[in-house]
Amino acid sequence: MTRRQRALLVQVSLYVILVVAAVALVLVADWPTIRENFWNKDGVSWADGNWGDLITIGLVNTVKYTAIAFAGGLALGLLLALMRLSPVAPYRWLATAYIEFFRGLPALVVMIFMSTGLPIAFGWSPPGGTIGAGLIGLIMVAGAYMAETLRAGIQAVPKGQSEAARSLGMRPGATTVKVVLPQAFRIVIPPLTNEFVLLIKDTALLFLLGAAADQRELTSVARDFLSSGPSTGTATSLIQAALLYLIITLPLTQLVAWLERRQRKAVR
Amino acid sequence: MQKSRSTVLALTVLASLALGACGSEDSAKSATGADLVKKDTLTVCSDVPYPPFEDFDKSSDTGFKGFDVDIVSEVAKRLDLKLTIKDSSFDALQSGQALNAKQCDLVASAMTITDDRKKNLDFSDGYYDSKQSLLVPVDSKIASIADLKGVKVGVQQGTTGKTYTEENAKGAEVVTFPSDAEMFQALKAGQVEALLQDLPVNLDHTTDGQFKVVETYDTDEQYGLAIKKGNSQLVEDVDGALEEMHSDGTYDKIYDQYFSTEN
Repeated sequence: MTRRQRALLVQVSLYVILVVAAVALVLVADWPTIRENFWNKDGVSWADGNWGDLITIGLVNTVKYTAIAFAGGLALGLLLALMRLSPVAPYRWLATAYIEFFRGLPALVVMIFMSTGLPIAFGWSPPGGTIGAGLIGLIMVAGAYMAETLRAGIQAVPKGQSEAARSLGMRPGATTVKVVLPQAFRIVIPPLTNEFVLLIKDTALLFLLGAAADQRELTSVARDFLSSGPSTGTATSLIQAALLYLIITLPLTQLVAWLERRQRKAVR
Repeated sequence: MQKSRSTVLALTVLASLALGACGSEDSAKSATGADLVKKDTLTVCSDVPYPPFEDFDKSSDTGFKGFDVDIVSEVAKRLDLKLTIKDSSFDALQSGQALNAKQCDLVASAMTITDDRKKNLDFSDGYYDSKQSLLVPVDSKIASIADLKGVKVGVQQGTTGKTYTEENAKGAEVVTFPSDAEMFQALKAGQVEALLQDLPVNLDHTTDGQFKVVETYDTDEQYGLAIKKGNSQLVEDVDGALEEMHSDGTYDKIYDQYFSTEN
């Protein structure tokens, strides 16, 4: 057998395996049971199924919490990035310590600490109840990540840009705000969008901290439907929540890919 | 060489598919013919910790202790089965998902028998009369369920305590938690002002003197051991074992060990 025949045979057999596996799956799987468990028709009906709460409470809150965490994280991240690049050494040390510490911790641990650890230990609760405390925890972790992203962006702006601005007589502060930061932000848009997508998913952690009925995010609402409502005892609500997450995250990840392609082109 | 390797690969995949297809059919049986997840073993799921019903205990054989644990240990002994206990989340247990996914044969997790749950689960006879109760800090002004208007009350996801609160504490801000551990932390932290849940669990939180139970509620509810829908032989076996324990005094002995001091 020649080398080409052999390669062809391998390819054909790989296809055969795929087809056999697909056929076997179709024949072996208990479709009615699968449909009943993952797409229970009572749960997905538009009239009184799960969609109402999932969208009007879960989806809306998820988007809201993500926006708050992202805005807060970005502000904190910018502050930390500027501190890290500061000519004053103690600022650099502080920022580095903060970033290393919070990047090394699971977001969930920080969130639980903010919502119950802090009040028990110091008698002081962050504003906004469990959700507020959880969001502050998320912001603290997101800020650490975004600080590193922003720092890389700032450092990627060619040195000549600030040198040119300075030689035109611009003050150091104005140079940073008007020349360096706008260019840095353009560079970091793709990684920041990625961070946004990560935050959307991290809001699900708020579930563990406890939430009132109208404060629940997508995952909490879906979990509630596991034990009550039209699709009780089936995974239907989880599938529905998954679809809603994908509806927000997939366009965003596509956007990141497009931005990255455009940026590569611009550099060339 | 190349050819034979891909043939072997193809055969392996086919063989494993074929095995997988029939593998699910032959599950283990007990001496009486009840279906079991694992041979000669009673696999029990429980949402731990939920003292005094279930808690971790490194020194015990199963790794757990508590009223439910003692009850199912005794049941397993009488059915001549080994006992394995797994920790799971309560809503997977009460919705029947853990049982349907064959994670366990039996759920022993302070679970109240309700009509809603009976749709997805079979229950043994009740083995414990459950009361609901309201737990607040000792210096709280809340004295009864009527004082809960506008107050944040912690309840556990998927429990009858949650349903009771929603029906009887109108105007309360019901905050749902995955389990008692998070709830009690939130109460300590002041994130909620009261907890409404099963009496023994709330009583357990009063031992350090910082919290008190201000009201208890009779709900005519009983805890049952949940079993996968359709596994009626196991229900029969478990009921038989429970009946034996009642008649020979074993049940009372276990009960007194956990609850005799509360009255």
